[in-house]
Amino acid sequence: MGYSDAASPASAAAARETRKEKRGNRTAAKLKQSKLETRRGQWLSQVQGKDAKDAKIAAAPTGAGSNAGSPILASPHPPLPRRRADARSRGSDPEDREEAGAAGLEVGSSDLDSPINSPCSNNSQGDGCPLRKGCSGNDGGPSLSSGSSVWSSSRSVSDAEEDDTGCPEDDSEVLDDWEAVADALSVDDSHCHQSPDPVMPPAPQANATPDNVARPEPIRSKTRAWAPDDIFRPQSLPSISKQASFPASIGNCWAGMGITAGQQGILSLPLSCPICYEDLDPTDSSFLPCPCGFHLCLFCHKRILEADGRCPGCRKQYNNVSAAGGGGGNAAATAVGIGREMANVVSLRLSRSCSMGPRY
Amino acid sequence: MPQSLRQTPQQQQRVHEEGRASRARLFKEYKEVQREKSADPDIQLICDDSNIFKWTALIKGPSETPYEGGVFQLAFAIPEQYPLLPPQVRFLTKIFHPNVHFKTGEICLDILKNAWSPAWTLQSVCRAIIALMAHPEADSPLNCDSGNLLRSGDIRGYQSMARMYTRLAAISKKS
Repeated sequence: MGYSDAASPASAAAARETRKEKRGNRTAAKLKQSKLETRRGQWLSQVQGKDAKDAKIAAAPTGAGSNAGSPILASPHPPLPRRRADARSRGSDPEDREEAGAAGLEVGSSDLDSPINSPCSNNSQGDGCPLRKGCSGNDGGPSLSSGSSVWSSSRSVSDAEEDDTGCPEDDSEVLDDWEAVADALSVDDSHCHQSPDPVMPPAPQANATPDNVARPEPIRSKTRAWAPDDIFRPQSLPSISKQASFPASIGNCWAGMGITAGQQGILSLPLSCPICYEDLDPTDSSFLPCPCGFHLCLFCHKRILEADGRCPGCRKQYNNVSAAGGGGGNAAATAVGIGREMANVVSLRLSRSCSMGPRY
Repeated sequence: MPQSLRQTPQQQQRVHEEGRASRARLFKEYKEVQREKSADPDIQLICDDSNIFKWTALIKGPSETPYEGGVFQLAFAIPEQYPLLPPQVRFLTKIFHPNVHFKTGEICLDILKNAWSPAWTLQSVCRAIIALMAHPEADSPLNCDSGNLLRSGDIRGYQSMARMYTRLAAISKKS
């Protein structure tokens, strides 16, 4: 059940893809979608238990509220709440959304997205309920929607997103909005990858805008150069990205690329910290706190300084070793080391250790 | 007041981080052990099924010592701050050795105390213990009988006692 549900937004996205025939990187999109699906599945399995509880708790008061407000909506229709929500949600009036929400809650744990989407969505409905009840107390059924539609319009975008994930059938017309906005904002079609994304944060419009504008650039460079990023091996990356993205994104990641490339090519450093066994990043691998040459990551070094402060390699005090002592001195030394490396990419381990020794 | 309020979660987080770090490290060591199972035939490290902070090790008594032929079981209790603090190791198998407490199995070994380095691993601790079995340090005895035998120069007495206990406790009783 969960998987079919999870798949439907993806298939909708796929349909949209075929409709718009300007896909350059479809494979990337699919990859991302499949990732999203799996992530969704994981999330689903995590939240399922909690879900059921939430649904039970929330369903009762919501149902009562809609009962009081509009008897038409009140009758719970377990089999076809989706359709009704679908048919009515054009106006995006809160009533419908409420019903959609209630429907989602009735369906309960089977509907993965609307309760999962965020506690925020549930909360907002919870917040909304008393408001609408107040309205309905004034004049009942139909006018209530028009009355509160203004209120709803302010958050229509985020709601659209929630609805979109909540009711997959729904998302074509709600997403038209979304797509229009996104199209206007960015020429790049990468928003398509994002559209199934709202699982992540229920992003308000303000957030979505810079996202869309900002995303395409890194994404494009990523699909090209950071493809091996999926393997979580930043160490192996530079050899590829050096050729592919070094000229392209010089300003951005010059430091990281340059250092890593230099070290990868010239120095054979340990790939992982011998203390925590985590991978050493460029800063770590150019970090030599002790002349004995024992490499370790900055985190472990800090923790050791907080403890006994002795080098794990030679058992001497770090402070005696680097006479300036303390974290500041070491940080400065690291900075110097990095500077060196950036100045001449063909730096040697020797030169760096020399620069450390006499200087401090 | 606000500072104390702010510090508490930080400390909590640090403890949490340490727990996570040690866990991650132990997990990596576990994978390493699984990968290089036959790397050191004298050491067999086994992680507890449910608790990664509890390990047991089976080590073979080094050859040309009274412990030759015996298989000794060690129990590791690993602290949350593990790579920074040494694991607590003790013999579960009875052993007659000057640096091992005869009753509790506690081991007197500098690298398990003040000479510990985070660069050591459980595997290397096992190697150090094997080395300690081959080279008893009679001057800091936990087992005074054993230490006295050695210090008085009664090598033969020490060896025969140790061999006897090895046969009794560390060699499976099959004819």
